[in-house]
Amino acid sequence: MAERTAAGDGIVVWRIAIALAIPLVWEAAWRLTGSTWISSPSLVGRRLLGWASDGLLFNIATTVEEIVTGLAIGAAGGVLCGLVLGRMPVLAGILRPIIVAFYSVPLIALAPLFIMLFGLGRMPQIVLVGIVVFFLIFFNTFAGAEAVDEELILALRLMGASRGEVFRKIIGPASVVWITGGLKVALPYALVAATTGEMLGSRGGIGFLLNDAAQQFDMTSLYAALTILMLLGILASGSAARLEHWLLRWRHAAE
Amino acid sequence: MPPNSDATMDAAPKIQLIGASRDFEARGRRVQALQPVDLSIQPAEFVALVGPSGCGKSTILNMVAGLLGPTLGRVTYDGASVTGLNRRVGYMTQKDTLLPWRTVEANIRIALELKCRPTSRTDATAKVAQMIELVGLKGFEHHYPNELSGGMRKRVALARTLIYEPETLLMDEPFAALDAQLRLVMLDQLQFLTRLRKMTVLFVTHDLGEAITLADRVVVMSARPGRIRTIRNVPIERPLDVFKARFSAAFGRLHEELWDELKDEVTKGTDL
Repeated sequence: MAERTAAGDGIVVWRIAIALAIPLVWEAAWRLTGSTWISSPSLVGRRLLGWASDGLLFNIATTVEEIVTGLAIGAAGGVLCGLVLGRMPVLAGILRPIIVAFYSVPLIALAPLFIMLFGLGRMPQIVLVGIVVFFLIFFNTFAGAEAVDEELILALRLMGASRGEVFRKIIGPASVVWITGGLKVALPYALVAATTGEMLGSRGGIGFLLNDAAQQFDMTSLYAALTILMLLGILASGSAARLEHWLLRWRHAAE
Repeated sequence: MPPNSDATMDAAPKIQLIGASRDFEARGRRVQALQPVDLSIQPAEFVALVGPSGCGKSTILNMVAGLLGPTLGRVTYDGASVTGLNRRVGYMTQKDTLLPWRTVEANIRIALELKCRPTSRTDATAKVAQMIELVGLKGFEHHYPNELSGGMRKRVALARTLIYEPETLLMDEPFAALDAQLRLVMLDQLQFLTRLRKMTVLFVTHDLGEAITLADRVVVMSARPGRIRTIRNVPIERPLDVFKARFSAAFGRLHEELWDELKDEVTKGTDL
């Protein structure tokens, strides 16, 4: 909306120019040096086309499926635990050190453990994504549920609302702000978790492609895999932003 | 329930404060916000509390709603001590507690969505439309609270409280944010509705005119620590025309009389 101004048009033109310049410079660098380490956009493009008929879709689907499944499980668990603990200060006080201890482990470091436990399929990635997402959403939801305006709750209780109704009509919706905040942060991390798991040991997914290419010193394949990851990342954060805008439409209504 | 309540009394009071006082703890010091207060309110009576800020008016409402217990004394509702939230009152607090993620319409409807008040969807929609009309918010049904002015938000809060017709209304300066004309319109509607539904009303205001216009009795409170200074019946025929009432002689006399009482307290409260 703000970008539909003269200055905004200028910004868009510059963005397009730079987006075109990067592959051109890259292509030129390759043609000048001829170094296989640099590879080139045209080679990467051809490699992607070649992959398209040879399992690329399967690998993308693998990664996406791991992210979506892990995200669904982790987000559901995070929202539930966050809401419950956020409204039960005693229980939260008891569990806090335990949760913090678990979260203190760099979660990516759990990947080898899950590969040992769940094998080389999609399961270790799903579990890893689930755990990463769980913690991010949990902490956000917890903060949200804890910070709900008590006066809103009292007002509804005076109208005769049960505890369940207070939860559904106030605590839940009020926490949506924090839940979406958590989701927005969690999506890129979900991609990180899925790819890392795949790189450490799997038989499919973009991380697998990446690792495979690296082990064969195949720079073109490496760049091709990175390109796909970048596109997936853009897609993830873009959809997160859209989701947030829609869920929190009451906030920008006045703008 | 008092089974042996005095049968000779003409009517059992709806709300009763019996030596009810309230202390607050502030920075480790005990401050008395309300000295022991005795007040009886009959069913369907409209009582206005006026007084300087900090005289414990809101404390009295909070005690009747069960949000606060009295430090000493008792608060009863229908003869039984108020312990815990009093679900039979509708409480319109000073701060409007609208849900920011709900539209005007959805905010007003919320009480009808609760299980304790089963309402069919069509009934609820009709009632909401009626309330929106009543508080003059037609055309704003789908706005969110942060798109509304302070006065409009107050009107949404009023509609939200009136829609489920609680038998008792507690109102804490409900019209403070409204402009003078709109305030008169709202006073008129409030008077009409509460008398039609025979609601008991305890109404806090700092506007004497508002108090005399609406109330059967006006309670003047003294500056902190609050206590009751005077209680006056309003000897004006009901229902009255809120737009003209202020110009009647009876209104003027009562206003002057009560203002004399209130004046001392207001100046005391501000240390003038």
